[in-house]
Amino acid sequence: MNGLRSWIARRLLLGVLQTAAVVLLVFALTEALPGDAAVAFAGDQPDPQRIAAVREAMGLDRPAHERLADWVMGLLHGDFGTSLTSGRPVAGYLADGFGPTLLLASVTVVLLVPAGVGLGVLAARHEGRFTDRLISSTTLGVYAVPEFALGVLLVSVFALRLGWLPPTAVGYGTGLLAHPAVLVLPVLVLLSRPVCSLARLVRAGMIEALAAPYTAHATRYGISGARIRYGHALPNALAPATQQLARTIDWLLCGVIVVEALYVIPGLGTVLMNAVADRDIPVVQGLAVVFGIATVVLNLGADLVTHRLAPRSGVAA
Amino acid sequence: MNENPVIATVSGLTVEVDGRALVDRVSLRIRPGTVTALVGASGSGKTTTGLALLGEYPAGARVTGEVDVRGARIGYVPQHPAAVLNPARRTGSLLRDMARRQVRDLPRSRRRDAARQRVTEALADAQLTGSEEVLDRYPHQLSGGQQQRVVLAQALLLGARVIVADEPTTGQDALTKRRVVGQLAAVAARGIAVLLLSHDLDVVRELADEVLVMRGGRVVEQGPVHRVLDAPTHPWTKELLAEPRTLPYADPELTGAELLTVGGLTARHRTGGSRVTVLSVDRLTLRSGECLAVVGRSGSGKTTLARCLAGLHRDHTGTVLLEGKALPRSLRDRSREQLAAVQYVFQDARAAFDEHRPVLDQVARTAVRLHGTGHREATAEARQVLTDLGLDEILARRLPGRLSGGELQRAALARALLARPRVLVCDEITSGLDPVTRRSLLDLLAVLMRRPNGPSVVLITHDLDTAAPATRVAVLDGGQVVEEGPRERILTAPQHPFTAALLGASRGRGAAARP
Repeated sequence: MNGLRSWIARRLLLGVLQTAAVVLLVFALTEALPGDAAVAFAGDQPDPQRIAAVREAMGLDRPAHERLADWVMGLLHGDFGTSLTSGRPVAGYLADGFGPTLLLASVTVVLLVPAGVGLGVLAARHEGRFTDRLISSTTLGVYAVPEFALGVLLVSVFALRLGWLPPTAVGYGTGLLAHPAVLVLPVLVLLSRPVCSLARLVRAGMIEALAAPYTAHATRYGISGARIRYGHALPNALAPATQQLARTIDWLLCGVIVVEALYVIPGLGTVLMNAVADRDIPVVQGLAVVFGIATVVLNLGADLVTHRLAPRSGVAA
Repeated sequence: MNENPVIATVSGLTVEVDGRALVDRVSLRIRPGTVTALVGASGSGKTTTGLALLGEYPAGARVTGEVDVRGARIGYVPQHPAAVLNPARRTGSLLRDMARRQVRDLPRSRRRDAARQRVTEALADAQLTGSEEVLDRYPHQLSGGQQQRVVLAQALLLGARVIVADEPTTGQDALTKRRVVGQLAAVAARGIAVLLLSHDLDVVRELADEVLVMRGGRVVEQGPVHRVLDAPTHPWTKELLAEPRTLPYADPELTGAELLTVGGLTARHRTGGSRVTVLSVDRLTLRSGECLAVVGRSGSGKTTLARCLAGLHRDHTGTVLLEGKALPRSLRDRSREQLAAVQYVFQDARAAFDEHRPVLDQVARTAVRLHGTGHREATAEARQVLTDLGLDEILARRLPGRLSGGELQRAALARALLARPRVLVCDEITSGLDPVTRRSLLDLLAVLMRRPNGPSVVLITHDLDTAAPATRVAVLDGGQVVEEGPRERILTAPQHPFTAALLGASRGRGAAARP
């Protein structure tokens, strides 16, 4: 498997370049935004002299490329830099936010895979009949509802009206695992759309695989229905679903911003929101690096799984 | 044999789809250890009858009559074994699943070994060597022969009493055919009945005990193989049995100067990261008015050679000269005249047509593209060429899906001819066609060549009968031209052992043995 190893190496190198490009882009975009950390720090009293003083104290009066170069040098030594607004190390921010986000993402994925695959297989099994139509139309409908709308809806029904679940994570700190009730609504919202897209992809792949000659051949030779579905047909249906899953995990790790904001969960999304509001560039950049690496690694993993499931498809770097 | 009990009977089977009978009142009996052959052109109902034994019918079919297999297990080896091998699973997966079901009654500790034992035995019975390694590969990593043997092993593992083999030798070269024949004979020798669906009469003659000749879903003649094939009574059987063409395609009087010359050509393919040389030809020429047959097994580089000539394979060194002038390597760099001069007819005519546009429009497109003819004149010209080749306008206005394989191949020829080519490259244009269709297509090719300003032909084929009427024959093996010369010499006095082996494999069969 020498070819595969060199392919992985090439992909990782490409991933490093991609991450670097993301960091540069983020830096350029935050530079382009009106105002900076000093303006944000000055708050309601935008006294120009005070702002200039703060700017000097923060080192923001230096040219942009110098600041970027400093930060990159630090990164090469494993130092993410320090926050402009609080002076705390960026790594600390990331570590604090990572726990809740990772928890949300893992719980979601653990539920997502069986639910999505199960619904997809079930729908494919009953193709064109009532069960299939029910699953297909429901998944399409739910997929069409944006997260924030569904989130607000769930809060108003289950937290405010029925009072079954806490509306937000306020007051529970970072120990979310000790209070599973807090997680129910956010995880439901996070699950809603990925389950639908995954189920629809698996359904389409399964219908194709179940109609294929090799499935007929296995049936002909007396293999049981469940074994055919899960052992012989499903591997063929999973290749596109794996790609979708990688994108979903990616999105869960990076883009749960809406859900975290809605349920006030102190994860990476909240850290990112605050950092952007404060123009805290080192924190934003640190997050960009983390998100970039997560994306590269997850997609690489998905491509490897796809290669295993659809061995005929070539691997391209 | 008369004492032999019948293990499966089909009586008065009729299968209709949308009021059209695919199979019409077919009856047959199958006895252990015998080979029963269903013979007929494509579309004659062979496969539908074969699948009926397995209890499978086309979607929406209305079935009358009776199929009685008395609980016997039936195995199936389809024409394309790759289709029934799961692309996402290793080759051994179905075999292991089947074996696991068979050992369920054993104590848990012994199941694993017993299942493995059964798989190994089945593979050995199917004459598959290196079985452990084969089981762990994916189907696409196996050769066509290995795939076929794996599918046969599945049927043997099933404990099949009857095996339905659908066109097992179609499109195979002579050496592969020999191997398949040996294999099926071995299966029958084990007391398993074989239902052979084939239009390859040489194979039928060698293997079958009983023959049923089918046409349009009906059995027109049936009986012991020697009676049916040696003394046919039905005109259709006679037509099927007619000798392959032996008259030369080209008129020797018309042979002229060198038209196409290949010099120092080395073609490569990329596999993974590396480039592999697949073809190297020092010198090969085609004179005008001549038919050059390029013969070899699959993978010998025949098609790569054809693609180099047509500008479809760019990754090569060396030259291709047309009347002394070099042809650019890539299609894109060739002028309209050069494109028109070398035309290509593909093996798979169905894949060579856009399924959503009428055949006539697609044929006419050649004249528009290569000669700048107006749409109206091009259509008129296309209609005339198609009629000339035996496709009337009603047929030509249809979508490709509604034409048979032979008709589509004629349309493909018409499309190439509309360019008024100097060289026509025919890549396995008759493989997969039944003998009657094949002969009519080859006769047509001869007629076209003999016309004034008719094209010279490079005929790529694995079939020696098809190659025999060519002016000259070049034999390719492992990307090298091992022998080249006038057809009389190649077919009667081959110099190279590989040519001799190819000829030996088809000895006693077809025209190649009697040039």
